[in-house]
Amino acid sequence: MRDFIIVTNNRQVSDRYERIYPVEYYEVTYMQTLLLVRDRVHLGHALLTHPLAGSIKPNETPFKSVMISRSKGETDPGSVQLIEESIETYNKFKNKKFPNMSLRMRDDYAQIDLSLLENALGSAVEK
Amino acid sequence: MKLELGYVHIRDIQFASESKVENGVLHINKDAVKKLILEDETIESVDLEIAKPGQSIRILPVKDVIEPRVKAEGRGGMFPGMIAKVDTVGSGKTNVLKGSAVVTTGRIVAFQEGIIDMAGPGAEYTPFSQLNHLVVVCEPVEGLKQHEHEKAVRMAGLKTAAYLGQLAKDIVPDEVHTYETFGVKEGLEKMPGLPRVAYVQMLQSQGLMHDTYVYGVDAKKTLSTMICPTETMDGAIVSGNCVSACDKNTTYHHQNNPVIEDLFAQHGKTLNFVGMVITNENVYLADKQRSSDWTAKLCRFLDLDGAVVSQEGFGNPDTDLIMNCKKIEEEGVKTVIITDEYAGQDGRSQSLADADPKADAVVTGGNANMVIHLPKMDKVIGYAETANTIAGGHAGSLNSDGSIDAELQVITGSTNELGFGRLSAR
Repeated sequence: MRDFIIVTNNRQVSDRYERIYPVEYYEVTYMQTLLLVRDRVHLGHALLTHPLAGSIKPNETPFKSVMISRSKGETDPGSVQLIEESIETYNKFKNKKFPNMSLRMRDDYAQIDLSLLENALGSAVEK
Repeated sequence: MKLELGYVHIRDIQFASESKVENGVLHINKDAVKKLILEDETIESVDLEIAKPGQSIRILPVKDVIEPRVKAEGRGGMFPGMIAKVDTVGSGKTNVLKGSAVVTTGRIVAFQEGIIDMAGPGAEYTPFSQLNHLVVVCEPVEGLKQHEHEKAVRMAGLKTAAYLGQLAKDIVPDEVHTYETFGVKEGLEKMPGLPRVAYVQMLQSQGLMHDTYVYGVDAKKTLSTMICPTETMDGAIVSGNCVSACDKNTTYHHQNNPVIEDLFAQHGKTLNFVGMVITNENVYLADKQRSSDWTAKLCRFLDLDGAVVSQEGFGNPDTDLIMNCKKIEEEGVKTVIITDEYAGQDGRSQSLADADPKADAVVTGGNANMVIHLPKMDKVIGYAETANTIAGGHAGSLNSDGSIDAELQVITGSTNELGFGRLSAR
């Protein structure tokens, strides 16, 4: 069994992977996705990917996908630090840059997020 | 390895009936270049334009900048594993069309990255305003997927730079710079008592629009390894990184790495420039662990006294940077790290997404959140209408008079993390 869950607000990610891997899709904002991940980390899930994957800035892209462990253990201090720092970094980028973006633009951002996750999955899935 | 880099100085660029280099002028036959690029069937059409220093021209969205070079003598060819076949490069003689570059543009995704202004205040923020450019504007076939489009534009740029570089093959260069590194034993014998210093270069490696290739190998798939610095001068490392214009390393940056240049300047004098370690910046945390462990192990294996570490990108690479720094320091090797900053528009926020007390020697390329105003340019090459969706800008960045209000991060190379920039405290 795969010991990971994909937490995502990206429909393209859930469409691609929900039949194959454990995916939790939430129709929420980027920040809300980070907060959901934080909650899970505090409940004992470990982070498997960096919450700030990609060089696209948090106030530009609406999409965020993060992999966490499916199993729970003692709260991992490294994961706590990482998710809290990521949220702090998000807060530096205050105003949404493109509040009314076109469908094309949304699709492109979704594609990049999907690609970043896809490559992380490449490392995660048993060899 | 020993490489003689010959500069053929280019002071002007123009379209002509025959491609050649003569008296410092790069003449380009448009049809020949177009034909070469259109060999790729995923490209529908291509436009070529010229941009020179001082002209009121804005190029956007910039994907890559590449310097035309050619192997004049010795093993291998330019961009091994991408254009030339795989063969070890970095020795012999390489000629460079110094003062020129190929710039690729492409509307690969709807959000746009990378502006080069050839004049005005914007030109002050990028080293690329000082070069004579051939700008390649590619239009893909209908329905081409983003990753195929990115590849097509990337290869078009490399092919064009290799084609132009070939024009310098038999020209006697105006000046020659020689670079040589030695094996471990020979280096110790030649430079006893000098501190052993290596350069650790972190390569962007996260996915679509965020990739780097080493001899044609996707850096995501590599373990940290060693490379001779002169190999980079022959295009062994090329950019597939199209995001974060201010701090992404274009292929030009990889070919002209200033950390390598400066370490060579001190080589045999104040230090022994032992060599280079390259490592990646994957998203998967276990990959980060593996890569940074491996990098520290190599630094220890080389018995280094010091390492200069440069990163590429924003956010999660900050974690790799700190991991590399900490672990190398824990091996008893002193580090200096080079980064840029996202310290907020007022410069008051923490600059990096990660930090550690061991990172106590840091060089910054500048604050990418700094707000700038770019005046209207007379001509825009590329896709003018994309100015309103510039990453680093915002909806409404493009003013009705053609000027742009955005953050410094929109400008290609402005806060470069190799130090190839124009911002300074001096």
